[in-house]
Amino acid sequence: MRAVLAPFGRGPSGGRPSRNLVLDYRDDLRIFPDRWARIGLVLLAFLYLWLPSQQVSDAGLRTLSTIGIFAIGAIGLNLLTGYTGQVSLGHAFFIGVGSYTAAYLGAELGWPFLVYVPAAALIGVGLGVVIGPFALRLRGHYLVIVTLGLIFLGRHIFNNWTSVTGGNRGTQIRGADMSIGPLDFSGLELFGTTYSREQSMFFLVWALVALTALLAKNLVRSRMGRAMQAVRDRDLSAEIIGVDLARTKVGAFAWSSAFACVAGVLSALQIRFAGADDFGLFLSITYVAIIIIGGVGTIFGAIVGSIFVVGSEELINQNSRSDWLGPLVSTGPTDAGWLSVGELNAILFGAFIVGFLLFEPRGLAALWFRAKAWFLTWPFSY
Amino acid sequence: MMQKRWRRLLAVFLASMLVLGACGGRDDDDGDAAPPDDDTPTDTADNGDDTDDTDDTDDTEPPGDPEPAPGFDGETIRLGVLTPTSGTVAVIGNPLTAGNQAYVDYLNEELGGIAGQYPVELVVEDSAYDPTTAGQRYAAISDDVVAFVQILGTPVVNALLPDLIEDNVIAGPASLDSAWIREPNLMPIGGPYQVQAINAVDWYFSQPENEGQVLCTLASDDEYGDTGVAGVEFAADNLGIDIAVQAEYPAPSPTRPAQTFESQIGQLEGGDCDVIFFVATPTDTAPLNTVLTENTDYNPTVLGQSPSWLGLFAGFEYLQENFFLASEGTNYGDESVPGMAELVRIKETYAPEQEPDLYFNFGYLQAMAMHQILEEAVARGDLSRDGMVDAMENVGTLSFDGVFGDYEYGPADERQPPTSSSFFRPDPDSPMGLDLVERDYEADYVGDFTFE
Repeated sequence: MRAVLAPFGRGPSGGRPSRNLVLDYRDDLRIFPDRWARIGLVLLAFLYLWLPSQQVSDAGLRTLSTIGIFAIGAIGLNLLTGYTGQVSLGHAFFIGVGSYTAAYLGAELGWPFLVYVPAAALIGVGLGVVIGPFALRLRGHYLVIVTLGLIFLGRHIFNNWTSVTGGNRGTQIRGADMSIGPLDFSGLELFGTTYSREQSMFFLVWALVALTALLAKNLVRSRMGRAMQAVRDRDLSAEIIGVDLARTKVGAFAWSSAFACVAGVLSALQIRFAGADDFGLFLSITYVAIIIIGGVGTIFGAIVGSIFVVGSEELINQNSRSDWLGPLVSTGPTDAGWLSVGELNAILFGAFIVGFLLFEPRGLAALWFRAKAWFLTWPFSY
Repeated sequence: MMQKRWRRLLAVFLASMLVLGACGGRDDDDGDAAPPDDDTPTDTADNGDDTDDTDDTDDTEPPGDPEPAPGFDGETIRLGVLTPTSGTVAVIGNPLTAGNQAYVDYLNEELGGIAGQYPVELVVEDSAYDPTTAGQRYAAISDDVVAFVQILGTPVVNALLPDLIEDNVIAGPASLDSAWIREPNLMPIGGPYQVQAINAVDWYFSQPENEGQVLCTLASDDEYGDTGVAGVEFAADNLGIDIAVQAEYPAPSPTRPAQTFESQIGQLEGGDCDVIFFVATPTDTAPLNTVLTENTDYNPTVLGQSPSWLGLFAGFEYLQENFFLASEGTNYGDESVPGMAELVRIKETYAPEQEPDLYFNFGYLQAMAMHQILEEAVARGDLSRDGMVDAMENVGTLSFDGVFGDYEYGPADERQPPTSSSFFRPDPDSPMGLDLVERDYEADYVGDFTFE
């Protein structure tokens, strides 16, 4: 390509094409391929530091932190389902393991944050390595049913391993360390300013979202990531050309469950409670919905999907008494209105899943990529 | 080269943003005195410094009007309600909230609000019976309410307790778990589940015709199920009888398949159980009735814990013959009990379309309890978070005019809940579908049960 462009001489653009063309393989692998991506990064950094200031209430920050926690878990599921093609309904089990790890190692035993978070991730890796081999013998619906079994197995363990999980009553998470060096995220103090718990939590969660997104993005750009995608697209062909199927599938399970466990830790630190009922099938379905709506097989889609699924619920809640939603939504048994907030959320949740599967199977991320391509290729349509 | 320059620029930008961001900190201590809005009337009397936390309010001058505080703008007192208005548990949440609302309407319309001058407003949020959702809804409204008159569900209350403690907000748990008694930020009412179970077992075996019967339990596999079973075990120990079978079933959840109880009933029948103490929510009472109706060879008596009941069950033949409900108070409409006569009047006036309902009654009584605490707080001139906790500790005895037993309040470790229970039978011709069998029954040893 470069050779083809050479005869065009050195114009004002220094001999480069006027548009951001992919000229070699390395261009395809860049995380921040052009100036706009870098500007976007700077804008995100600005938002990260600006949002927790007085502009957003603690309630809003709590929602944003919840979105971040779901994003980390969804990135993990996207590695497994979106990139490797291994459909799993057992994700909630790993979230639960992470939550109880935080409760026991962090709150009960008083381990430091920088020890129990990696420990939770390692436990996730270990569990992923144990469960991964099932994917070698099973695929499709059969694998879904096996991973579904994890939910019920997990529920039994969570309800009965009382010394760790608190049994049926669940366990409260009070006093767990949340320090990284001098930064204590249970109540950050910086430059003589004290931040609320919600502000501090926002900083912690979204820093970890950035870290896990970067980690996942680098993973899918690596040999391992290419192997994962090859397995997803045609596992038999992948094996024939030399991809180690066992290592790839087990590795995907290990990475996915490690991310889920980290999300579970953060969830426990935010809610400050872990109960077996919270890690059921509905949570797993929520994660699947997030990656479908956001975009299967994209890191970006996991984050966008979390914003959409968690954020839309909150948006409906906040506007349930507004003029435009008020007549439709009832906020209590004595209030006029057809649907409760929860019922409307459930209907929209289902409708969006069906809608995206029918009209935009690649999710919100595809809409973004299409819009970006239109601007990049303008005035041409190709 | 370009990469390095970008990194340097980014580093400089982030550092400057951090310094700027430091201007946006806010600690968790929101303060208990929210500054009044410009349009808020500030005709409050100057009551001098309010550092006096002692209980003797009769020394020098009486406290003045309470200062504005979170949830109180100087005129209206706002109370939070976190309850499922959707999902399977909404059958409990909706009548509970209707009970809260009916009492508040009566309070505003007929009494002019708290102390005759501060109307009360409810802020209802759908918790979906889910701790994560409840946490978000709590965060959304906690700064805008003086207290929570109702939070429904043991798991939800458990999950919100750290927040309630940290924010020093008081809340009424719509659950009779004994764990709430010693929590300084909770406002429990009624005899706990364990007390219901102790009294029910003792009452049943005190009937001569029931002597020697085999006792068993059937409980949901969750913390609510554990509370009932703990009471049964305590009663059985004191009576010197064994619990032959302790059957469990999965607790209700949005994704649990419909419960059939066939295996559990097989287990109980195999253990020759004559009487089953049943710890459940209404979702599971109907299928239990179905399986027992179909099994004509096995007809055990069922003692149900109060949350297992809905009025429509009164039409079930098997339950009419073989079911007793452990609850509290008296028949709906019993004019001999002043509180009940008043409850009926208020329901007919402010919630005429509401069917008589146990949960409606409970919600009404929760609001009645909160009313007494708010009166105390206003009398002390302090509706702040700390003021509400002080008021709750100093309110003395919460009275429910005979509808529920009186509850001795004070510091959390000195509270004494009511220890009597009442027993009802299904009766389709009675309001609520229940007819009183025995009122205010109390086992001799119920006071020995330790509320930890």
